Amino acid sequence: METEVDKEILKTSGAELLPDGRRGLRIHGWEIETLRGTILTSLAVEEWEEKLQTSHLPEMVFGENALVLKHLSSNTKIHFNAFDALAGWKQEGLPPVEVPAAAQWKFRSKPSQQVILDYDYTFTTPYCGSEVIEKDKEAVEEKANSKGEATLQWKKCEDQLDLAALSLKEPILFYDEVVLYEDELADNGVSLLTVKVRVMPSSWFLLLRFWLRVDGVLMRLRETRMHYVFGKDETPTVLRENCWREATFQSLSAKGYPVDLAVYSDPSSISQRLPVIKQTTQKLKIPREV
Amino acid sequence: MSDLDRQIEQLKRCEPLSESEVKALCLKAMEILVEESNVQRVDAPVTLCGDIHGQFYDMMELFKVGGDCPKTNYLFMGDFVDRGYYSVETFLLLLALKVRYPDRITLIRGNHESRQITQVYGFYDECLRKYGSVNVWRYCTDIFDYMSLSAVVENKIFCVHGGLSPAIMTLDQIRTIDRKQEVPHDGAMCDLLWSDPEDIVDGWGLSPRGAGFLFGGSVVTAFNQSNNIDYIARAHQLVMEGYKWMFDSQIVTVWSAPNYCYRCGNVASILELDENLNKEFRVFDAAQQDSRGPPAKKPAPDYFL
Repeated sequence: METEVDKEILKTSGAELLPDGRRGLRIHGWEIETLRGTILTSLAVEEWEEKLQTSHLPEMVFGENALVLKHLSSNTKIHFNAFDALAGWKQEGLPPVEVPAAAQWKFRSKPSQQVILDYDYTFTTPYCGSEVIEKDKEAVEEKANSKGEATLQWKKCEDQLDLAALSLKEPILFYDEVVLYEDELADNGVSLLTVKVRVMPSSWFLLLRFWLRVDGVLMRLRETRMHYVFGKDETPTVLRENCWREATFQSLSAKGYPVDLAVYSDPSSISQRLPVIKQTTQKLKIPREV
Repeated sequence: MSDLDRQIEQLKRCEPLSESEVKALCLKAMEILVEESNVQRVDAPVTLCGDIHGQFYDMMELFKVGGDCPKTNYLFMGDFVDRGYYSVETFLLLLALKVRYPDRITLIRGNHESRQITQVYGFYDECLRKYGSVNVWRYCTDIFDYMSLSAVVENKIFCVHGGLSPAIMTLDQIRTIDRKQEVPHDGAMCDLLWSDPEDIVDGWGLSPRGAGFLFGGSVVTAFNQSNNIDYIARAHQLVMEGYKWMFDSQIVTVWSAPNYCYRCGNVASILELDENLNKEFRVFDAAQQDSRGPPAKKPAPDYFL
């Protein structure tokens, strides 16, 4: 949501809001913006299904929603969108998770000519953002770059997110959250991919979160955090941490945690209960100039 | 003005009734609903409506577009509660109209009209928040058990919340279901409230969740032919354009919650049928933010980590 920020604080931080009703700001050579639209129309759904080679998409795909962070001098763009996230889902192709009622259904008489669908209806994605160097308005995807020009590459590192710095109550110059896609799993839980960002005078920080709860079965949280501190190094560097957590309701119950669904509506408050199954930290060095 | 008329006026202002009024209203509604068939007969002209999901002010838009009850005859195809902010007021207004004008409004049951589902998706919490106890939730969920499972308009249009069931070939089979119970996890009653049409199967499909049927075009053709039905009208699935025909106009999904969950940006629709069953979809947008009352959600910037 848009909020009113003190003009003085923006000015002393060297930031200016984007013009023409756009949501976002320019600060220290970055342009940070969120975009919002409606869910896909039926026609767009067909187009996406064809492009992604699938016949199923989440019930609510916000195809125009995005978070875009542009490093202006290098034309480097880090962005988050539903299409790329769903391409990741399609590629990972996890096997489906059975809901509790499935046990009973196995005893039902089968209709003739029954087809069992087996796509991953949870829309679990390994997506952790997209990055590209834009040239002459023509985007050159990192992977597609064959000429050996400046490429973008995340490299493993030992650095950790500076949680102490991020916990400081600096003024927030820009804050927003956008939903990329959401599915109610036909009332069997929730699958939700969102990204939120906050920009302070000293840094920007974002959280991309895939949150899945299959009622009575499992919870899965895949989070990507990125932090960039303004003007710290010679080479601008973005730090990224991926953290995947997952637990079954059965294992939570075995640990004595409640399995009442009402407790598990807010992923932030319960993430600590979900064991970490994968965690990596990486750095992206951004070319200073093109 | 009778108590009931006063209550309807109050509910139209989105003011909930007292707990004792809800109890009395539910008792009266029960007497009416218990007499209804599992396949309730409805005369044309009638206006068909899909999911509402507690979006009270958007339902007021619906009445603006479709006309007031009882002047317009309505058929609501379930999912009155959960998700939106005003499930209590939404459901009670529909129920009060049902009691006041039993022949001018038909309410059939959706999969959210269930004890189990409402405990997860909002109605239970809303009752607890607005009344400080779960009594109103109990009265309402008890009423859910009495609601009809389907309707048939002039014997030509079959209306149901979800869709078909492999256990059901004829309307008479629906008529034999003992519906006065919580929605079961499987079986014919469950399927009617939960199943979805699906393009990529021709016959029956089983959801990857391991529960939930999907039905294809040939299933719909066979059902419509054997029951002498023109087409099926159902709700249950969000459609950006408010309605969607499938399988050569043998089934239509009608969705009546605009800007679903206050963020999807979709339009909603209702389907008006005149006395000759001529169709007209009326598409409408969400109520203006400022007429929608309190919950103007604007979360403050959050120092998330």
